[in-house]
Order: sequence, then structure tokens, then C-alpha cells
Amino acid sequence: MARLSKDDVLRLAHLARIELSEEEVSEFLIELNEVLAYVQQLQSSDTEGIRETNQVNALTNVMRDDQLIDYGYPPSELLKNLPAVLDDQIQVKRMVE
Amino acid sequence: MSAKYRPTIGIECHVQLRTKTKLFSGAGNDARTAKPNTLINHIDFGLPGALPVFNREAMHLAIRAALALGVEPQLFSTFDRKHYFYPDLPMGYQITQYDQPVILGGKVEYILNGELKTVAITRAHLEADAGKSSHPSAKAYSLVDLNRAGTPLLEIVSEPQMHSAAEARAYAKELYLLMCYAGVTDGDLYHGNMRFDVNVSLSENDQLGVRSETKNLNSFRAVEKAVAYEIKRQSDLLDRGQSVVQETRGWNEAKQKTLSQRSKENADDYRYMPDPDLPPLEIDPAFIKKVRSEMPNLPSFWRNELSSLGLSLSQSEILLEAGIDFTNANYMDLLLDFKHSGLNTKMLVNWLVNVDIPLVRTDSSLINANRRELYKEVIGLVEAGKLSSTNTKELIAAALKSSEAAKDLANYASRAGLLQQSDSSELEAIIQEVLASNEAAVKDVAAGQDKAIGFLIGQVMAKTSGRANPEVARQIVKRLIKQD
Repeated sequence: MARLSKDDVLRLAHLARIELSEEEVSEFLIELNEVLAYVQQLQSSDTEGIRETNQVNALTNVMRDDQLIDYGYPPSELLKNLPAVLDDQIQVKRMVE
Repeated sequence: MSAKYRPTIGIECHVQLRTKTKLFSGAGNDARTAKPNTLINHIDFGLPGALPVFNREAMHLAIRAALALGVEPQLFSTFDRKHYFYPDLPMGYQITQYDQPVILGGKVEYILNGELKTVAITRAHLEADAGKSSHPSAKAYSLVDLNRAGTPLLEIVSEPQMHSAAEARAYAKELYLLMCYAGVTDGDLYHGNMRFDVNVSLSENDQLGVRSETKNLNSFRAVEKAVAYEIKRQSDLLDRGQSVVQETRGWNEAKQKTLSQRSKENADDYRYMPDPDLPPLEIDPAFIKKVRSEMPNLPSFWRNELSSLGLSLSQSEILLEAGIDFTNANYMDLLLDFKHSGLNTKMLVNWLVNVDIPLVRTDSSLINANRRELYKEVIGLVEAGKLSSTNTKELIAAALKSSEAAKDLANYASRAGLLQQSDSSELEAIIQEVLASNEAAVKDVAAGQDKAIGFLIGQVMAKTSGRANPEVARQIVKRLIKQD
């Protein structure tokens, strides 16, 4: 059974752009390995002769026409959810030097 | 550039699809003049629980793109999530197509220096664009506008089969023409409707070298310059015994060079996974057949048409680039009409390329001007010797801009002082005056000094505020002085 290492947890944390303390790393190492072990039960299923799929609901082609839709969420309301807005733009930590 | 290295270039191009709404939401897709964060909703905003729903028109345009690239689209394709964190990507992932894209294969053919070149297409996939960020100077923050978030893109990836900056430019231009003529995109390069990423590597043998990727080029010229710069930069490095680093670079237009950007995450860092919100796309072969039957004419068709009108290659290319039939201006009909009426087609092309098309570029509403009568009247005035070439351009511009001017063209031209005085009796009186007050010059002309004629005509032009027809004036001057 594959297991995550401490380095894997640190790499995931970096990709998710979150900082973890030493304790948190140890904590997540245990938790994530438990999750992984749970999901790995799937590996023991016999999939001989079963076609690979991305979907379990057997849907295809769920589409809409190319028409404007008013969903009833005005932009001004959406912008209210943000911590910082300047001139109707979302204000974030500077991305470039 | 050192000739000992062989450059190899591959190009990825993001084509913005010509839809009314976004790829997975019903928000408007024209962010060009919209105020920041007005073309947004809970889906583009990435709110938890929002359900993206695929835009049918994007499938239609992807099929057109496939056919324009000379290949059938994939009947089955899927959507995936590509995860990375950046402030302009509200969902924390981009919806794209990873291992089962809508297009596999195809080709782009172009002619460079009389030689037919073919570049194979690896794949093309549908994906949603990110938002737009800006970085006000001397501030500690950046600003994000999500109007573009969710804009439908088709990313077209070529095989690394180009070997010079000129080939890269020619490929980019041909791909642009194909996508515009197929109606896949509006092709507004200024507003980033097509953005090119160029991968350049150098090799001394059969093995490809380490490549750099220069991203977000939005003109053919920038593609050519960035490739030329990278070839030079990399060969200088190799000449000095250093190695090329695999990295992402950006083109700095002001400095005319590429600059290193943030290091990119590896493919497995993106943690691609099938998007559970989006069922696979299955295209009905009958629908492909329908789209094929409705395909607009592609550049190769128009090249044949234009060459049958006797246009030069460069004239044809300029006309093609400006858009022959995908605007409503219907330049082709106009050209055909001129040809069938036995009128001067080359003159018309000259006006289209130098006046009409540049004007339409600055104001797209001028597409709707009624051209057929306009150009016939203009050519009538030119052939009667009543318009100088400068004034012809001015008159065409005025008539395209104002339907009033176009309605009564000859009168308008006269009122605006654009007509030349070719009427000999009126002109002769003015020339008599000029000769009377320039005796020395008249003597010189009589003595056979043709230079002096130019001086006298200059005086005539000044006296008529440039409205005299210089050729007619010249004949009159010669006649009057010979008679003396």
C-alpha cells in the first residue's frame, strides 16, 4: 500500500499555498494516510472487462444554448463577498515585483 | 546568429471563441469595453456549489476549427480540472480538456517564399480563460477583473515543426486566417482574441535541445521577434558553453527582448482530475456533417478567387488579412462587380487596402457603408481627371463616414474643394495671370528649360489652393508659351 511521506504533505501544502506548522504536518500526515487507505480499498475491486469512465451518472452532453442568463446575482452583490474591492476590482496582494 | 544550431519551434495558440456567452455560464463574453467585474455571476466567481453548464456554441465552433484544420473532431471528449492557485483564477482550478481533447491531429499549410510548408497539429482543447490582473505602479496590491474569467478558448498546439522566426510568423498568420475565415473567432488581436506561446529550442544534432517558452504574444510581429530573440539568446549561451534553462519567459515590447518569468509547475503538480460537474461531450456525426455543409470559404478559396482577378500576391494577402467575407463589407462582391463592369480593379484594391480597410479597423460601424455606388462614382471622377490621388483618398474616407456625403458625392467633393480644375477655359484664365506675373520663368521655358514649367505649375497650384489638375495645367502652360 502506497503511503504519503512528510515531503508529500509539504509539497501539497506548497501547491495549495498554505503554511503548516510542524504539528500540523504530523497531524495531516496521519489523516491523509487514513483517507488514502480508505480510498485504496477500490484497488481490490475486480475491474476486469469494465470500460474506464470519468462519470458515474452516465450523462453526456449536458449543454445550454448560447444565450445571456440572468441568474439573479447582480455583480454588486457578488463583490460584497470580497474582503477588499477597489474601483470595482478585486484587490489582492501584489502578484508581481 | 550562429548557423551551427538548428532552431526548432512549436506554437501553442489560445483562440477566443466567437460566442455570446462564456464557456460554462450565461454571462456576456465581450469584455472589450465592459466595466470591471460586470460580466460575472456565481459560476465565473467560483462560488461553492455553482454548477458550470457547457455552452453548445463552443462545440459548434470547435467542430468548425477541426474542419478548418483538415481533421474530424473527436466524437468523445472530456473536461478536466487543472489545479493551481493564482488570484485571477477564482475556482482554484481551470476547466480544460486533458487526456481526451476535442481535436487530435490536423495541419496548417502556408506558403513562405514560394514554398509550401506544412505544420502538423498535435491537439486542440477547449478551456476557460482566467481573469485579468493589473498592477498599479508603486502600490502594494494588484487588481483583478473577472470579466474574462470563463471566456471560451480553444488552445491549438502545433508539433515542433518550424525552424525559423519567419516560419513561426507565417504559421501564426495562417492559423489566424483559418480561424477567422472559419468563423471560429472574431480575431481581434488587439484585445487578445488570439495569443501565442512559442517554444524555442536549439540543437546541434538530431536530439531536440532544452526549450524556453515565451508566453502571451498577441501579434505576428511579436511572434517573429520573440522567436528571433530566443534563437539569438540561446545560441549565445551555447557558444559560451552555458546551457539553456527550461523556463517560461515573457516578451517585453518596450525592451524588444524576452525576460524570465516565474518558474512553472510541472504537469503532475497541476493534479489534473476529471471534472465531476461536467459530463463528457459526445458529438453526433450527423451534426458534424451539418457543420461541414455550412462551412464558410477558407483562405485557400479566397486566394484562388483573388488571383483569378489578377491581383498580386501581396495585394491578395493584405486583403485577406483585412477580412474579405467575414465582415459585412463584402469586398469580394465589390471586386467581382468591378471586374464584371470592366472597371479598374487594381485601383479599387489600392483604395480598399489604403483607405477603406484601415478606416474600418478604427471604426467597425463603417462596415455598413454602402460601397458599390460609392466606388463607381469615385472611379468615374478619377477617370474624368477630376480627383488627385490624395483627394480621392480624402473623398472615400468622407463618403464612408457620412451617408450624406455619399448620397451626392460629386457635389460634396465640389463643396469640400476636393475636385481638380480640369476645365481648361477657367484654368487658362488663371494660368494667363500666372504667366503675366512671372516673365523670367516664361522666358526660361521658351528657351527650353523644362524646370521652369514646374515652377509655373507650382504657382498655378498655389493660386487654385491645389485644386488645379497639374497635368492639364502643364499642357496649357506648354501650349501658351509655344504660342508666344
